[in-house]
Amino acid sequence: MNKRTIQLHLGLGACAACLFMILYAIPYWISAPSNMRNIVLSPRFWPYAIAGLTGLVGLGILFTNRKSEADDAPVNDPIEDPGAGLIRLAGMAVLMAVTFWLLPRIGMVWASMLAFASLAFLVKTRHPKTALICAVLVPLLLYGFFAHVAGVAIPQGEYVRLP
Amino acid sequence: MSMIDSILAGLALVGNVEALVSLAIGIVIGVIGGAIPGISATMAVALTLPFTFPMQPINGILMLLGVYKGGIFGGSIPAILIKTPGTPASSATVLDGHPMAARGEAGRALGMALWASCTADVISNLALILFAGWLASFALSFGPPEFFALILFSLTIIAGVSGESLLRGALAALLGLLLATIGLDLVYGTNRFTFGDPNLMGGLNFIAVLIGLFAIPEVINMVWHPTGHMGKVQTLGSKWVTFADYKRCFRSIVRGSFIGVFLGAIPGIGAAPAAFLSYSEARRKSPNKANFGKGEIEGVAASEAGNNGVAGATLIPLLALGVPGDVITAIIIGAFMVHGLQPGPMMFVMNVDIIYGLFIGLIFSSGLLFIVGGLAIRGFKPVADIPKRILMPIVLVLCIYGVFAVNNNIFDVGVMFVMGWVGFFMSRYHIPAAPFLIAFILGPLLEDNFRKSMLMSGGSPDVLLRGPITWFFWALTLIAVVAIARGTLDKARDKG
Repeated sequence: MNKRTIQLHLGLGACAACLFMILYAIPYWISAPSNMRNIVLSPRFWPYAIAGLTGLVGLGILFTNRKSEADDAPVNDPIEDPGAGLIRLAGMAVLMAVTFWLLPRIGMVWASMLAFASLAFLVKTRHPKTALICAVLVPLLLYGFFAHVAGVAIPQGEYVRLP
Repeated sequence: MSMIDSILAGLALVGNVEALVSLAIGIVIGVIGGAIPGISATMAVALTLPFTFPMQPINGILMLLGVYKGGIFGGSIPAILIKTPGTPASSATVLDGHPMAARGEAGRALGMALWASCTADVISNLALILFAGWLASFALSFGPPEFFALILFSLTIIAGVSGESLLRGALAALLGLLLATIGLDLVYGTNRFTFGDPNLMGGLNFIAVLIGLFAIPEVINMVWHPTGHMGKVQTLGSKWVTFADYKRCFRSIVRGSFIGVFLGAIPGIGAAPAAFLSYSEARRKSPNKANFGKGEIEGVAASEAGNNGVAGATLIPLLALGVPGDVITAIIIGAFMVHGLQPGPMMFVMNVDIIYGLFIGLIFSSGLLFIVGGLAIRGFKPVADIPKRILMPIVLVLCIYGVFAVNNNIFDVGVMFVMGWVGFFMSRYHIPAAPFLIAFILGPLLEDNFRKSMLMSGGSPDVLLRGPITWFFWALTLIAVVAIARGTLDKARDKG
């Protein structure tokens, strides 16, 4: 992506977000008392103001984009294989979703161990043995500190419970 | 009792090994707590509080103050080394501290953070001692319209942290303001974007948003480009901060310290806005303006001076009026009460020895912070040497534990993950994260004070200009806006 594409996406995105907020999100997702006498006291006033400003900023971005000179140089560092990168990103999203789902079920320690090992595998670490040792030790040490020193009730899960 | 008698009485209380050891232990706990992302100075103070109950009042309070000051400095260590602010107050330190670390100058950045922190600490303590009564009475005269004008002025600091595009900075800030509206309405208690989920009714957890925005995008970036860090230096480096560096940054450090003192003395503002405002002012005045955000040592000095300048000043309203200046001093007020002490004007009459004992202890704390901080920097050296593809999984796990521990709520971990993706896409689209965070912190305060003002006046906007304090902040806002507009136009003209 070059600078102009980024500006175009942001400008259009901000305008679309503004319209979505004003036409749908604020009226349907914010409840306000029906007998409001003064609009500035309404729970909807502030979000409307923010949405309006977002639209103005979006228009501003589009306007400055039109005025700016064409520059086709990519703004982000290129990577060797973008396809593989996208697959890894999808893998990361799955890893986060699975970790979140597992946290209350198998407990934070075991879920963290799995997350650690999976992430190290995903980024193809050059130190797999160290990664595995750390995957076991780091969550255990953190559990020791948070559960026994700080007194935080770390989720233990339904299967294997730690002392 | 004369002032000399009061000082001698205070010295008698703290002039012993026990008091100094309590203070030193507090600073060590604070530095460690602040350096672990997700623990934060607030959590470290809260965790230490029960351990102070059996201690002498002065020793217990000094220990908590040590944790507070150590925690604020400690937050800069992971901010510089792994781009993960240990405390919200260190968010501004990331902007220049981490690029310095990436360049192999982590030792220099950490050294400057320590020197700036200790200098700001001394200035803040002196301000506390000299101006406690006067400044506190000034802060006490703030009502909702004054707070609204002040916070509106504080929002102009966004221009200073927007990077290459002011409009993208504004967009980030609006996104932050919008996210801050999630939760129950402050006045009517109605739902705003809660979708009936009780977890959303209190709004998004600040620590989850903060860590999600600053730490998780680093992890996702590593996944997107696992070898992207190759060739990028990530060690403490052989360069250490020099006296010449300190001399060059001294003006920014002193300015940042005074910004911290001023904002710290006003209840409810906190260290993070002070750090950002100090950073923004340093950038505006610096001859190396273009280097800010790319690893400018003056940026590190200004941010650290700003956040440490707050630490002593938040005690001004606490000691003089019994009003806590921020969350941490609200916890510390609990320690006073447990020991049968009631902070406020009467304490200056009834327990003047404790007041002066605290003042003397705080002066010692700056020296102790310098020693402990110096050791902590060397102690955290291994963090910089860990291979990045091992470090990032450690950061992920640390974030999961840290975010959960704040509220014992797994939902916050989910918020952190989602914010991580938001932060990642923001970085791909070159939208700066700092304005988002500032707006997220200040948004609820701004709205709350605006609506309270409107309730006070029955909807009339005249209340927002009701007296000299509001006029003063409105004038400052106007000047800042004009300066920003002029700067933007000049930049556009230079390019054209």
